[in-house]
Amino acid sequence: MEVFRQEIIVGAVVAYMLFCIVTGLWAMRRTHNSSDFFIAGRGLGPIVVALAMFSSTLSGFGFVGGPGLVYSIGVSSFWMVVISSIGYALGFFLVAKRIRMIAELRDCISLPDVVAARYGSEAVRFLIAITIVLGVMGYLATQILAMAVVMQAILSGTEMFADVGLVTCVVISSAVLIFYCVTGGIIASVYTDVVQGIIMMIAGTLILFTAMSVFDGGMQEATSIILADDSETIMPYGAAGIMASLGWFFVFGLGLAGQPHIITKMMMNKNMRDNRTILPMSLFGYVMAALLWISIGIVMRAAVIDGAIDPLALPDDAASIFLSVFANPLLAGIVFAGLFAAIMSTSDAFLNIGTAAIIHDIPKAIRGHSVKNELFWARVVTILLAIVAASFALYSHFRDATLVAILGAFGWATFAASIFPVVALGLNWKGASVPGAVTAIVTALLINFITQLAGYAFPYAISGQLVAFTSSLLLFIGVSLLTKKPQLDSDIERVMEI
Amino acid sequence: MIYVIFAFGVLMAAILLAIILAEPVIAAGGAAHPSFPGMQVGGDGAARLQHIGMLGFAFHCLLLTQIVLLSMLGVSERYRTLKLGCYMGGCLGLMLVIAWGMFSNHLQYLDTGITGYFMGFPTATAWQLYGTWLGALPLIIIYSVGFGKFIYTAEDEEKFNALLAEKISQSERTTSE
Repeated sequence: MEVFRQEIIVGAVVAYMLFCIVTGLWAMRRTHNSSDFFIAGRGLGPIVVALAMFSSTLSGFGFVGGPGLVYSIGVSSFWMVVISSIGYALGFFLVAKRIRMIAELRDCISLPDVVAARYGSEAVRFLIAITIVLGVMGYLATQILAMAVVMQAILSGTEMFADVGLVTCVVISSAVLIFYCVTGGIIASVYTDVVQGIIMMIAGTLILFTAMSVFDGGMQEATSIILADDSETIMPYGAAGIMASLGWFFVFGLGLAGQPHIITKMMMNKNMRDNRTILPMSLFGYVMAALLWISIGIVMRAAVIDGAIDPLALPDDAASIFLSVFANPLLAGIVFAGLFAAIMSTSDAFLNIGTAAIIHDIPKAIRGHSVKNELFWARVVTILLAIVAASFALYSHFRDATLVAILGAFGWATFAASIFPVVALGLNWKGASVPGAVTAIVTALLINFITQLAGYAFPYAISGQLVAFTSSLLLFIGVSLLTKKPQLDSDIERVMEI
Repeated sequence: MIYVIFAFGVLMAAILLAIILAEPVIAAGGAAHPSFPGMQVGGDGAARLQHIGMLGFAFHCLLLTQIVLLSMLGVSERYRTLKLGCYMGGCLGLMLVIAWGMFSNHLQYLDTGITGYFMGFPTATAWQLYGTWLGALPLIIIYSVGFGKFIYTAEDEEKFNALLAEKISQSERTTSE
């Protein structure tokens, strides 16, 4: 089997991509209008929503960047993962019920639609839509680049495609992504997410057992090796220290309820009562898949310190080298398919919300109505958005590596800082006002962008993201308290009393 | 409730400010590993916590309290009963115990240089890894098991269905006019 390692891996990835294409064609027959395209007509069952939600949460960053972070800074990065249970719980307490009710009541197809209904303000809709577009561009570009880099690494290991270029890999991987997103919209997206989620859970579990068998003494031997080298790395705050760790706790924990690609899924379930099962199922799936993040990172760091393998050229190589050295070919095939699944499940969610923002929300905020023939334009803009993001990723890769990083800062942290107060608090507090919402969004964008551009570092590794989130939260409440209590539409007021 | 959340937010911001203004420590956020490029080390843990250790722990505790307060905010006002308050208080208590278990075991290790292990990790890290993950389970149980009691009751469902019906008949009237 070892002789056919590369062929098995390529076969697993090709099989996975074919599945995505077939799902796209199947879903196309179920997509009749823009509501089907963007929110699956609010007709999804609990298992589908749960798997789609967790697989969208764990992106390529979790499968590639996660193990790399553990390799680099140790336990500090665990905080991004262990906070998931609190993050999901908070998301459901604060958002799941009311976003679903407002979506049905006002026939909303996007998050900015819900926000506009809640605040009765096109300005807030516009700002949220712009935030989403900026965040989506950065996120999508990094995901497409990650997908292409992994594909190049896999294909270049075969004789036939030894010289394959990065541009070719961007084209192939983006083409598959675009195909199923354009043909089947969110229906294709969530049903591929189901399979993607299952693959990710299997991959995470199998990798944990593989990682535990690398050292004779299991995980304890690996952590003992790290402890002997530098104890802080394997202690609770890791190499990055207490405030970096707690900053991630804050931004990733509270911030989960502000991620548009995740909370939009809360609008899609058929029955409100399904939320009681969706929450534990999503969390279970996430924890299973995230085992990969922790176990690979720890074992690779210990193996390098122990001299079992050579130091990595880049921390992000941790997962791929672990797979090539320690995993059997079949497992490597499953995990590489899982890696593509992780990247694609997040990318399709971003393509969907980005397209909705461009063709539905921004025109509605400016002209009072969205474009005519939304379904047609949704498909066109999905293609264009993916092409722009792919071009942007390539330009950044070859010309200016900081570009994607800067827009990447408009990813999780900016969504967290700008959307959490406006949506998660705004849906539960009648006193939340338009000036409060506008101030919070603008503050979050400015602080995140300025600290990223200026490369400013606060003492004790306090992140600009933490400062942005704390500021936007306080300003949102403070400005709302200082301004006149808003007059809500009667239906929204009644929803907020339920 | 929002005033309490705001007050805790202000306290957290004040602690952040105090940490920013605290006496700086070399490599507080880690330093490059002397032998392996791409790896970072934490170095002297006791020195890193010397000026801000208790402030950091206080920030952690306030954050956990804020999480429980926000969860309460997500429950309709009329369901914020004493019973729910006790459940939420229990959740917070458990999370604070876990945070203290982690912090105190870490301090103990820095003091003695000796640590036990639990399920593959040093004791302090095991508190962090397993404890934080499992510490939110009571919150999830309250949501899932108490869904029909605290989150979306049969009465809520009736009210929402009535609202929907009103909306539909209103839009039908508008269309026919």
